[in-house]
Amino acid sequence: MGNKQTIFTDEQFEAYQDCTFFTRKEILQLHGRFHELAPHLVPLDYTNQPDVSLPLALIVSMPELKENPFRHRIVEVFSEDGQGNMSFNDFVDMFSALCETAPRELKTIYAFKIYDFNVDNFLCKEDLEKTLNRLTKGELTPEEVNLVCSKAMEEADLDGDSKLSFSDFENMISKAPDFLSTFHLRI
Amino acid sequence: MEDKECNSGGFMRLLSEESCSSTVTGESCVNYQTEIFNQLPSSLARRRTHHHHQDRGTIETSHPVEKHPELAGEARDRASTQPIRSLPVCMQRKREARDLRHLQTRTVGRWESWKRNQRINRKRLGEQVGEAMSRLLPWSSTLHTIEGRFGVGVKAYFVFLRYLVYLNLLLCLVIGGTILIPTVVYDSDADRGLLRFEGNDSVLDFFVGSGFLERSPVFYGFYARSSLDLLCLNTPLLFLLGTLTVLILSLVMVVRRTVVGYKHTWLLGNRYNIHMSYKVFCGWDFCIQDPEVADLKLSFIRNELKLYLEEERFQQREARRTLGQWARLYFLRGLLHFLVLVLLGGAFCLIYHATKASQAERSGDYLILTVLFQYLPPIVITLVNFFLPHVFRHISSFEDYSITTQVNATLVRSIFLKLASLGMYLFFLFQNSQQDCWENQFGKEMYKLAVFDFLACFCNTFFIAYPRKWLVDRYPSSWLARLSGKQHFLIPFNVLDLVYSQTVTWVGLFYCPMLPFIETVKLMAIFYIKKLTVLQCCVPAQRMFRASSSSVLFHFMLLLGLIMAVITLGSNLHKFEPSSSCGPFVGSATVFNVTAVCVDSLPGPAQSTLRYLSSEAFVLPVILAQIVVLTSFESRRRANGKAIERLKDMLVMSTSDKHFLLKQHTLSLRRQKKTFKAPTTVSGTREGSPTTMKDPSAGIGEDSHIAQLKDPSAQPTGDDIKIDRGL
Repeated sequence: MGNKQTIFTDEQFEAYQDCTFFTRKEILQLHGRFHELAPHLVPLDYTNQPDVSLPLALIVSMPELKENPFRHRIVEVFSEDGQGNMSFNDFVDMFSALCETAPRELKTIYAFKIYDFNVDNFLCKEDLEKTLNRLTKGELTPEEVNLVCSKAMEEADLDGDSKLSFSDFENMISKAPDFLSTFHLRI
Repeated sequence: MEDKECNSGGFMRLLSEESCSSTVTGESCVNYQTEIFNQLPSSLARRRTHHHHQDRGTIETSHPVEKHPELAGEARDRASTQPIRSLPVCMQRKREARDLRHLQTRTVGRWESWKRNQRINRKRLGEQVGEAMSRLLPWSSTLHTIEGRFGVGVKAYFVFLRYLVYLNLLLCLVIGGTILIPTVVYDSDADRGLLRFEGNDSVLDFFVGSGFLERSPVFYGFYARSSLDLLCLNTPLLFLLGTLTVLILSLVMVVRRTVVGYKHTWLLGNRYNIHMSYKVFCGWDFCIQDPEVADLKLSFIRNELKLYLEEERFQQREARRTLGQWARLYFLRGLLHFLVLVLLGGAFCLIYHATKASQAERSGDYLILTVLFQYLPPIVITLVNFFLPHVFRHISSFEDYSITTQVNATLVRSIFLKLASLGMYLFFLFQNSQQDCWENQFGKEMYKLAVFDFLACFCNTFFIAYPRKWLVDRYPSSWLARLSGKQHFLIPFNVLDLVYSQTVTWVGLFYCPMLPFIETVKLMAIFYIKKLTVLQCCVPAQRMFRASSSSVLFHFMLLLGLIMAVITLGSNLHKFEPSSSCGPFVGSATVFNVTAVCVDSLPGPAQSTLRYLSSEAFVLPVILAQIVVLTSFESRRRANGKAIERLKDMLVMSTSDKHFLLKQHTLSLRRQKKTFKAPTTVSGTREGSPTTMKDPSAGIGEDSHIAQLKDPSAQPTGDDIKIDRGL
């Protein structure tokens, strides 16, 4: 790995430090991880902001994401084109929004987007069922899935439209004691 | 049309057929939301604050900006006060926002930008300090390993243990400052060293507390009125103050932890809450990288959900019980309760006889036998506390309760057993308290309890847990191995042991001031021993112990132990005279004489104030005022609860109104379009207007979702034609 003078300019570092929750060292670390995912694609020199994106399949093979049942959704949410091709900016963005120092509100917004499988700004019953199936790796019977999802919907749905809007979701998450401690990635 | 009422969550939702088909037109109108939905103020507000990622090329976000430029400016203002890194947008947008702010900085002035820089630097420094402090917390890596392998419940036990270590360290500090150091500094008797070894001391003295230990600062008898003998600052007063401070500090800390946990669990209304929504959305720990840990977590989640489903099935089964079955069940439960009471009574009898036997005079025996007889009560208590909870666990499995109730019933019975056996032992001890220097005797008993508790834990690990593991590993098919099964770390029983040892510390504090020091060392040793047991001998339990509500329970049990200790100490100090031959209170009729002397020496106004504060004329109004304040809080809580219910109903009604109006508007729009278009293009409009085809992330997606709506407050037909286009 080259020394930092050849990877990013100081101005780029300042921008990253303002726009993310990371320090210089961590950004360099992230670049190293991004590079080792595809050494022949990712240049070592980012000073002229090359436009390189890695496909979804490479990103979800990272050890931090490999065991996560929602890894595909996470990468899709943070990628610019919505298909999972991530540039380095998206990569840094993902880890910054999910790091331990990110505020609760930001994480809630992204959690909502991640769990919204059909991208309609609502968490409907199907979204909940898909979440539950990913969580349990499909080992519950359909009636059990239905029961659990109905109960979850009933608890969280405040305005009675059998879908969770963002305010319903936010209200529910604000009372959840474990959300902050479970919903973060560590690099 | 039919109306179905479904009563869930305490408010009524009304379903009707009209939500999927209309009597007015032949079309289905499930896509009614798509045309006007994007223009609703709530959709616009949502889009303003969320700035979707895909906003560079699509039309849907540019529309609001074009149509409502004043709103965009407002959004920009709101966003400029938030730190950039907290904006939920992609990196490019953040960079643009940053550049914008930098432009503003040049207009804002150097003072503002300097202040902002300082704030940023301070925040970064604060973050670094916080990170360094969290790395200083001892044993955090161990806790992380344990959590990964055994789950959050076992980790909660070790967190509780660490908390007790902190508490005891604090108590050590207080006692060291108020009792030990003044004695060491001001000791009047110069030739009375801290540790004096005399003729017939032996190693067994360490276990029994006699000999050299008796003459050391460990016990009450060492302390005397030393050269520090002012009216209001003397050794006895410091001794009393130290003990009282320790108890009050413990009370404050335990109550605070209990209340903090209570607010998180019981606030939500359900008692033993299995909140499915939390399980679904916060169930997965995103930090997991190890496939084995991931499998374990998966099985935990699955088991939790199955536990919930089992509870549901149990409740259904309970609802279907006939009268005869109920009668039989109650009879069985009554019998089992009686059995539990008999067992408890038997335990207390055993303790009584052991106490009597240990206090009987023995002479001419070997030293070891003497020690053993002196240790008879602690041995009996520990054995009883070891076996009976398991018996209770088996008994509760016959009582046909739901699983959580079973666990709780066992827990309540075990708590009662432990605290009551300790209480009974103290009671029997005090019946024989007319000896010389009875305080030392009592201190010795507490010391013996503490020491034996540690010995029992040690023996349990090395003589029971390890052999059992070895047996199950080497000879897995033998009958003994199959009988004992794989070891699980039983969290409630281990926590009860900790609570018991802490209660012993609190009770014996006054008579054996070094108990917190002993307890700290003991707890640290227990941490490592239990860590060894868990990591080497136990397998993860399949059923996860619910951590958040259980930590409240642990602290509540600790509170119970503390209350018992305070009551015991208080009744002792009132009933019994301090002995006349040892201790700092020699010569006074009661322990509180020293405070009376000190108060008498204060100036007049202070004296009368203090006397007033401790009289009934002050205490009763204070209690009355507290009752009034509590009542006002309770009534406010009830009023808030009612307001919340009303607001929820209003919310449901408003949403129903909104859906109804949207639907009517769309119907009228389509009718108008149909009258202007040729009939063949009717099917083309079915999918919605052209604008909605290009934005996949707008409000489509409800094709298969039938919104439940019926607006009871409006006329179902006739008004739609009047609805204006610009709704």
